[in-house]
Amino acid sequence: MTLTPEIIALLTLDVIFLGLGTLALILSLRIAYRWDYASSTPLQYRLTKQSTLVAVIIKYIFILKLPLFLFFVYTCDKLSSVITGAMCASGVVNSVGFGLDLTLFKLFNLYGFGFWLLLHVEDTSHVRLAYTRLKFILFALLCVPLFAEIVLEIGFFTRLDVSKIVSCCGTLFSAASSSASLSLLFNVDARLWVCLFYFFYMVSLIALGFKSTAGMIVSNTLFLIFALISLIVFFSTYVYELPTHRCPFCLLQKEYYYVGYGLYIMLFTGTFCAVGGGLLALMTHTIPYRYWRLSGLFNTAYVLSISAYPLAYYLKNGVWL
Amino acid sequence: MLFSFRWLLLEYAVRSLFRRFGKNFFIFLILSFLIFILSSVLMIAESIKAELNATLKTLPDITLQRFVAGKQTQIPISRVDALLEIQGVGSVTPRIWGYYYFKPAGVNFSVVGLDIYEEPYSATMARLIKDVNWTQGSYDAMMIVGEGVKTILRENYYNDFFHFITPEGQTKKVGIAGVFHSDLALEANDLIVLPKRAAYEIFGMNASDATDIVLKVSANVSEIPTIVAKIIEKFPDLRVVTRDDIRVSYQNIFDYKSGFFLALFCVCAFAFFIIVYDKSNALSSEEKKEIGILKALGWDTDTVLQEKFFESFILSLGAFLFGLATALFYVYALQAPLLRAIFTGYSALKPPFDLPYTLSVSMIVLLFLLSVPVYIAATLIPAWRTSIVDADEVLR
Repeated sequence: MTLTPEIIALLTLDVIFLGLGTLALILSLRIAYRWDYASSTPLQYRLTKQSTLVAVIIKYIFILKLPLFLFFVYTCDKLSSVITGAMCASGVVNSVGFGLDLTLFKLFNLYGFGFWLLLHVEDTSHVRLAYTRLKFILFALLCVPLFAEIVLEIGFFTRLDVSKIVSCCGTLFSAASSSASLSLLFNVDARLWVCLFYFFYMVSLIALGFKSTAGMIVSNTLFLIFALISLIVFFSTYVYELPTHRCPFCLLQKEYYYVGYGLYIMLFTGTFCAVGGGLLALMTHTIPYRYWRLSGLFNTAYVLSISAYPLAYYLKNGVWL
Repeated sequence: MLFSFRWLLLEYAVRSLFRRFGKNFFIFLILSFLIFILSSVLMIAESIKAELNATLKTLPDITLQRFVAGKQTQIPISRVDALLEIQGVGSVTPRIWGYYYFKPAGVNFSVVGLDIYEEPYSATMARLIKDVNWTQGSYDAMMIVGEGVKTILRENYYNDFFHFITPEGQTKKVGIAGVFHSDLALEANDLIVLPKRAAYEIFGMNASDATDIVLKVSANVSEIPTIVAKIIEKFPDLRVVTRDDIRVSYQNIFDYKSGFFLALFCVCAFAFFIIVYDKSNALSSEEKKEIGILKALGWDTDTVLQEKFFESFILSLGAFLFGLATALFYVYALQAPLLRAIFTGYSALKPPFDLPYTLSVSMIVLLFLLSVPVYIAATLIPAWRTSIVDADEVLR
């Protein structure tokens, strides 16, 4: 276990989230169970007041989680200079068995809480607060991955062993990877993944044109998955201009002008607006066209900027990698 | 929109802060002080680390030490030839150096033996001994000393020479040829450089041994792990320290020191935030009345909450900026009196050096995360409790 100032900061905020989250969970369970908009009992009156507290706590957690996710990745990047063998955050994340799960949980929570806020805005602007019970049930469900993430993070930093030798991203993200699912990605022709990536981008645009809720949700979910795969397998090599270097984490480093932060923000915002807006449409039976337009904008920006790398490489050198 | 921004509300929050100036100023002051202490410690650690990393570049690629029964001992110089045979090794230099305890002042000098005709093993060393007049006069040998050493010797009335006492109990009279004026004060303050022969005598060592051996890798730095493996195979009793090992251990030491401080600091901060929680939880009748009037005027709970959030955000952000600014001034303009002692240690020959200016964005982010969100978390529930006050209850 190492206690660098960054880790202490992350753990301190985790403890705060745990405390406030537990309080919010207890309140929201009660609200979910006893909420009745029509009644005028003192209990209902109290619940209305408590629901604002829960909303404030969730807003607080979500707004902090956004920069904290970047800060977590940054901390891992910084630790990689200390841990033998690690050259970027991926080595550090994978030095503990559940490191990758932790990162995925973090991402999932961002999506989840972001969607909760969309629902919350929809709810407070509704005359009869129609979605209050729904949103508190949703929060109670979201607490499971939230607490799992906090517990995993504490476990991650306690188990992190500075003297252990870890693999660098060069071996993790290659056909020789010890993880079966990862090595499968590299055994399939990269062109297939790239085609699927562009295909689902086109599908999402068509779904946007037809304002199809199901189409938006499905196409954007698949777009996100294939965007990540094709980024690892194909596009990252052009960013690094090195045919053997495939890594989704090194993009975040100074050597590549921190380009990863911009790319990931575009990709995640784009798909979040589409999927979140789509789920909202399912629940409220309205078309959240504002979110979808945003999604189309961010997705297009992502596709254009990530495609620019191979194209620029080809124009400069006259060959593909 | 998700987070609509209301300027008038912000203005109201600022005025509200000033209306209760006494209470808020107290919180502001304490919070600034906490942030000031925290940022000073982190900045000093960062700064010293930068200084050490700068000297790191001048260190040899590989250092070899011999261990017998878990203790470091001398290496026979005869091993140099065997080491030179390893592919990729550029130069091999046996070093003779150690500490000389000077009892009257209770300090250790670092004594390094060096022959003028041989190539010095570091660039700094080469610069230090460049323009020195080595003519001996009536002394056994001549030496150059760091400024700290010079001062200590003068205090003990050694102006032109110094008597070393060898392990056999004899004295060895060594003249002072000059003083280093080094900008790398951290390295050279307690340093004495004298000819190898004299160093062997002072330490009472056999002339066929060396304290350790340093290697330079000829061209390819990425070959270092292979060379290390070959050396260990050839001489299992040698411990190999590469430059990278030293860099990692610096990083660990300073992360540990500042982390340790931070852990203690957390306790202190926790106490403060409990006070904040308590203070903002207890509403005066004046404040209750204010909220009541606002509610009667048509403010809803969310607006009051937002106003309270603005208040604590402005307060904590102001305290953060103020604490950060004073810390910058204290550390880099005043060179951090008192606090730097935590990091530089207690050696009597503590080198006087300037903390180089290093401030990264990541450090500011770290400090921000440790102060503003934690403060807001402490005021979250009190703010809510304020905002749910009912107009009719208060105004009745």
